[in-house]
Amino acid sequence: MKIGIISFAHMHAYSYARSIQRIDGVELAGIADDNVTRGTKMADTFQTDYYRDVDSLLSAEIEAVIVTSENVHHVDHVTAAAEAGKHILCEKPLATNTVDAKKMVAVCKENGVILQTAFPVRFNTSIIRAKELVEAGKLGRILAMKGTNRGTNPGGWFIDPKKSGGGAVMDHTVHVVDVMRWLMKAEVNEVYAEVDQLITEEKIDDCGILTLEFTNGVFATLDCSWNRNKTYPTWGDVTLEIIGTDGMVSIDAFAQKVNVYSDDKGLAWDFWGDDMDFGLIQDFVTTVLNKREPSITGEDGMRAVEVAIAAYESASRKKPIYIG
Amino acid sequence: MHHVLILGAGTMGKVHAAAYAEMDDVQVVGIVDSDYEKAAKVASPLGAPVFASVDEALSTLDYLNIVDICLPTFMHKEMVFRFAEIGIDIICEKPIARTLEDARGIIDFCREKNVKLFVAHVVRFFPEYELAKKRIEEGAIGKPAVARTFRGGIFPTGWNDWYADFSYSGGLILDMIIHDFDYLRWMFGEVERVYAKSLLGRNLLRLDYALVTLRFKSGVIAHVEGSWAHEGFTTRYEIAGQKGIIDYDSAKEMPLVMKSKKAGKGAGGVAVPESPLKKTPYYLELEHFLLCIERDEEPKVTAEDAYKAVEIAIAALESIQSGKPVTLNSEKVHPRV
Repeated sequence: MKIGIISFAHMHAYSYARSIQRIDGVELAGIADDNVTRGTKMADTFQTDYYRDVDSLLSAEIEAVIVTSENVHHVDHVTAAAEAGKHILCEKPLATNTVDAKKMVAVCKENGVILQTAFPVRFNTSIIRAKELVEAGKLGRILAMKGTNRGTNPGGWFIDPKKSGGGAVMDHTVHVVDVMRWLMKAEVNEVYAEVDQLITEEKIDDCGILTLEFTNGVFATLDCSWNRNKTYPTWGDVTLEIIGTDGMVSIDAFAQKVNVYSDDKGLAWDFWGDDMDFGLIQDFVTTVLNKREPSITGEDGMRAVEVAIAAYESASRKKPIYIG
Repeated sequence: MHHVLILGAGTMGKVHAAAYAEMDDVQVVGIVDSDYEKAAKVASPLGAPVFASVDEALSTLDYLNIVDICLPTFMHKEMVFRFAEIGIDIICEKPIARTLEDARGIIDFCREKNVKLFVAHVVRFFPEYELAKKRIEEGAIGKPAVARTFRGGIFPTGWNDWYADFSYSGGLILDMIIHDFDYLRWMFGEVERVYAKSLLGRNLLRLDYALVTLRFKSGVIAHVEGSWAHEGFTTRYEIAGQKGIIDYDSAKEMPLVMKSKKAGKGAGGVAVPESPLKKTPYYLELEHFLLCIERDEEPKVTAEDAYKAVEIAIAALESIQSGKPVTLNSEKVHPRV
């Protein structure tokens, strides 16, 4: 099976490429990137072909593509890939608005190609274990959740709203919202958010706390801030606490770490847990091979985008936004 | 020499009595509690008498200059009025009152009667909390941006299970995370807007959990988490600023943990953590209040601060009930919650 990658703008492309190369019978068949320097460098690193434009990659003999371009380009790249009959794994957020997201879901359906949203956190082993505990009824009925997905400000195009569609809220809302929806099989129907630019000098939101209400009556909060500073021992976190009638579970998805104290870098947390990006790529490959419904659909991607958009609206109107 | 009458021999009465016992210039002149045996256990190491009622105490005692009210919240107003009327300075447990009207009434009455009123917002006296404030003021993390706090554990048990009665205690929000509201306001100034969710009104037996977002006028966004759905008791904070982060987690910072092989009172196979200090935060707090009386100085937490903390808590309760954010301003009349 041959897979192409459209753009290395998003740093996840690197670990997806590495994951592809770890799977037997799967080949990274080419990289398209409008940035020639980056594209040729990556093609060289992964020993594959470089394409200057997306259409040339799409006319090559490949079955699937991974779209890791800047957020605003997802819609064009997914549309082009779908029309060329390629199955697609699209980086999150699926789109920067719900109109584009709907269009992407529709075009993939029309062309009979798989559209999977890249939510690797679903493949974090502690998150999977938490889902088992929830489904085994260990917590009783779920009442509330509290999540964080904080990080360092990624800079570059991420802080250019014309390319990213937004800052911390756009970047870090969708992972944990997806996990919450997935764990409970419920939808978000109301969003309240306090959002602001409090850390960076650039004009982009970098701090946000969202409060969510779900269709099953559960309430939750999510901290999506880019507020890990340079000397923090890691890039960021994914945490989730679930409060149920019979108990609670607390997940710190990257807590499988050792502490490294070096004179160069100070304290660094070195992760040794399972590679969730590899889990995601393995799942996508299996999905394409078996032509089955993806585990994380385009609709899942769209629902998460909807929450991020509602958070921005809530922050500007200073009231809760109903999306039910 | 201060002559202190303690009202209530519950958790806080016991803790305050233990602190006074360490002080040279304090004589506990009595402990009032309708439960004689409970009160006797607290009173006997101090050699203090037990009174079944305030009436009995006042008719028996020749002299007292301070009353320390360690009673359930809904009783504060009546007791403050009773002692202010006769010119006794007052130390009162937090929250100052169950409602904003009562809080205002208490403050006004004490001013009218010219008695001092101290409200025991003890978190301001916890060294780990004071230190964060100091470091932030020194610029260690730059301008603060996002703060998160946690306070909670198992559902508390008290006299007559008063914590479980919302009309008595105001629940988790007014009784417990009011500590963090006060602490955060101490650091970041006035609150602009409050939005909150909790399990209040969901008819869950002895279970509560609250997630409150505060927006400060300074721009800081704070996430205040309170739980009576966890086990044990822990507190945490993290404050992220433009140039750094400061955090603390009582579950991780344990200077002393005792593990006994013998099954026994509270220690059988269970780890019992302690954070021993020469002066406990409660000691520091009471010592400070006594010093303020002696020197006629403003305390580092004023009665007005205590009012403001209740105001934030009431706004959170209002938000929980209405599903809407509540904007704070002093002219607004808050509905009774």
